[in-house]
Amino acid sequence: MVHVTEGKGARKSAEIAKSRVFGAGRFFASLAILMMGFSAILCAKTQPVAASTQPSASAQPAQPVASPAQSAAAPATASPKPAASAKPATSASKPASKPAQPLVAPAKSYGSPNAPIKMEVFTDYECPSCRNLYENTLKDMINDYVAAGKVYLVHHDYPLPMHKYGYEAARWLNASAEVGKFASVEEALYDHQNDWAADGNIAKYVSAAMSPADFKRVTAIMRGCGFDAPPAMKSASFAVGADAGDTCSVDHYIEADRALGNKIPVQSTPTYVISYKGKQLPVGAGAVSWPILKQFFDSLLAQ
Amino acid sequence: MDFLYKALSFIAFNGCWFFAAALVAAFVIRDREKRMQFLRVTLVFGGIIVGSIFLGAALGKLKPLEGFAWGLASMRLSITYFAIQVESYKILPAGASMVAARVLPFGELLLGLWLVAGILRRYAALLASIVFVGFMSAIAYAYLHGLKIDCGCGIGPPEEAGPAALLRDGLRFFLPALLLTIGSFYVRRNRMGAAAASPVPAAAHAD
Repeated sequence: MVHVTEGKGARKSAEIAKSRVFGAGRFFASLAILMMGFSAILCAKTQPVAASTQPSASAQPAQPVASPAQSAAAPATASPKPAASAKPATSASKPASKPAQPLVAPAKSYGSPNAPIKMEVFTDYECPSCRNLYENTLKDMINDYVAAGKVYLVHHDYPLPMHKYGYEAARWLNASAEVGKFASVEEALYDHQNDWAADGNIAKYVSAAMSPADFKRVTAIMRGCGFDAPPAMKSASFAVGADAGDTCSVDHYIEADRALGNKIPVQSTPTYVISYKGKQLPVGAGAVSWPILKQFFDSLLAQ
Repeated sequence: MDFLYKALSFIAFNGCWFFAAALVAAFVIRDREKRMQFLRVTLVFGGIIVGSIFLGAALGKLKPLEGFAWGLASMRLSITYFAIQVESYKILPAGASMVAARVLPFGELLLGLWLVAGILRRYAALLASIVFVGFMSAIAYAYLHGLKIDCGCGIGPPEEAGPAALLRDGLRFFLPALLLTIGSFYVRRNRMGAAAASPVPAAAHAD
């Protein structure tokens, strides 16, 4: 008899425990449904990363930022900040007015345009990640696959508003490209990024990357860009300052690059677009190591 | 294959609702036997739904990039593209990223098939839950370090690694996997308990 009583008591307590468990189960399951419903509403507001390079006329970057450490720093602005060392120039915040004849874009590329792979890189010269990409990946790529005719590397300027001297650096690069000194100046600027980003003395490293005669030509191109040579470098041969009404001729190329980047849209720098025999692949962002990029190129070439 | 990927994505994204609703319904049923029966059926479908998430993710990583046809060469290309995405998280070095890119899609494929098959479902669901915790940790790491990168999830539209991706992965993927784990272990425990509690004929009449 005792055995039967004990069995009934145990069964009752088990029933109570089970009802509590089921009650808790109902509660959590209902909570799960509510949270899933909530997630549907929130996920509907998700901003997707651009998966395609199909240009969209209406697509504009919400906040183009430098990755990784400089995200969400400043709202996008249509005009670049003028460099602190530059005299106030009317061209600093406006693109150059359209010239009477169309300007030919300076050659900011490496390799042969006939290469099967084309890699277009959107960078800001003051961006640390862009420097990492250049130093750790692009340099090796240029010496290897670009030299071998497998890759055609094209640079596009995408200076970011939060970088004080980014736009000015882009101006110097474009002016240097016009005299055929793009590669050496790009290397000099990335190698000494920390130095010129601190004081804005970009001209020092540009001049060191070319002959005096070439630098003279570059400074002539930079007339109207608000370039003021530092006292130690001033001489009668330097073009200094901006005449009233002058515009910066190289701004046209920078703005054309930015417009192209806005079509993608570029959301951070560096951003790269790889094409293989005319087929554009998904847009990539951030630095990528050369070993992995090389394997990617090998896989592409094996198609 | 594209149709299969779309079908898996549809099941993965929407099946979680039915699974959660069925679980609530299971707890509403008072009769124990009927409840357990209903729960078992629900868990079978739950395994298919959670398995579809992994199968869809694996297919999303292995399917050819736009403009390329299916084939071994295009699969290799997709894997190296995925390696770029893995490396962008800045957690693994280049070599390890390449290894992870080669292993992960096939691991997801096997786990998805295991879940759908329903063999030892509780362990498959537990592994799935652990994997989701790992993915969400990586996304959180990338977001906290300010990396603006594609989450590389492989399923659904490309999405930036951030709170939205975390919420999506957490509620639509991790929660069903967790519920499947708990449900599978509960059913198993009940089955063991029922087997242990079945009265021995001689003992019931003992005084």
